[in-house]
Amino acid sequence: MPELPELDPVIHGKLRLAILSLLVGVQEADFIWLRDKTGSTDGNLGAQMLKLEEAGYVAMEKRFAGRKPQTSYRMTPAGRDALAAYVTALKSLLGGAF
Amino acid sequence: MSDFDTDNGTTRDDLVQRIALMEAMIAEGRQYTGRNSWIFVVWGVVDLIAISWQYYFRHFGGRWAWPICLFVGVILTFGGKMLQRRGQGYSKNDECARVMSVWGMMGLALGIYVASGILTHFDWQYSYMAAILMMIGMAHAISAMILHWRMQGLAAAIYWAGGVAILAFNSGKATTAIWLFEMGIVMIVFGLYATRVEPNHSRATGVRA
Repeated sequence: MPELPELDPVIHGKLRLAILSLLVGVQEADFIWLRDKTGSTDGNLGAQMLKLEEAGYVAMEKRFAGRKPQTSYRMTPAGRDALAAYVTALKSLLGGAF
Repeated sequence: MSDFDTDNGTTRDDLVQRIALMEAMIAEGRQYTGRNSWIFVVWGVVDLIAISWQYYFRHFGGRWAWPICLFVGVILTFGGKMLQRRGQGYSKNDECARVMSVWGMMGLALGIYVASGILTHFDWQYSYMAAILMMIGMAHAISAMILHWRMQGLAAAIYWAGGVAILAFNSGKATTAIWLFEMGIVMIVFGLYATRVEPNHSRATGVRA
């Protein structure tokens, strides 16, 4: 029997997967947009963003929009590769269903 | 029922849920028109007021109906956008930039065209009014192609059909009726439809870690 591929634990978390799926479709997005789209809390989202940053899957940039500080995130090439690998692993696990 | 378990206890159902979550989030990140579709509603209402004022209340400064209503429409659009940016998060992408460019330049072209028509008193001509519908239809069509959105493609077809109908009927009554339908009803209905699409989708996709 062929060995089942491993799923990247950093991506496999539901909120982290949702974040990466949102970021894959945009060039960049700020914290509030990600929070609103995922329906997450500030604390939970902040913690998950930190894990994704530490893994090198997203890059953070702090700047000012007028007088207000804005934290924006974008997906790194490593993040795109990891998400693509995750999708491949998912497809492999699910067989011909997808 | 799950037919396998991975080492960490993830079942087939979990994996299928992950796929569904990814699809939902990718679609969510690509919702742009819904975010700005209130602008169609604003302009539909503005146009309806201007048309009604010009044709049915012309004794109350009907000559100023369009300049005043267009000015109010511009103020409401810019004011609304500023309020929207204050309350919502921010995302940026190529498709969004393209759609914004199309509508921004269409708005600019339309503004110049309408102002020229009013100043040169050519604004009563049927071909002048048909051209406005064709321009709006073109912006809808380009936007529909960028977003791969059939509903917006249908809106484009309705505007083009309206432009052709104005030229074909070539009468004041028909032009007023078509203009009221296209600039008022279609714009408001499309705006409300597009506004409904995004919130319904957002409510269905709350995510926890």
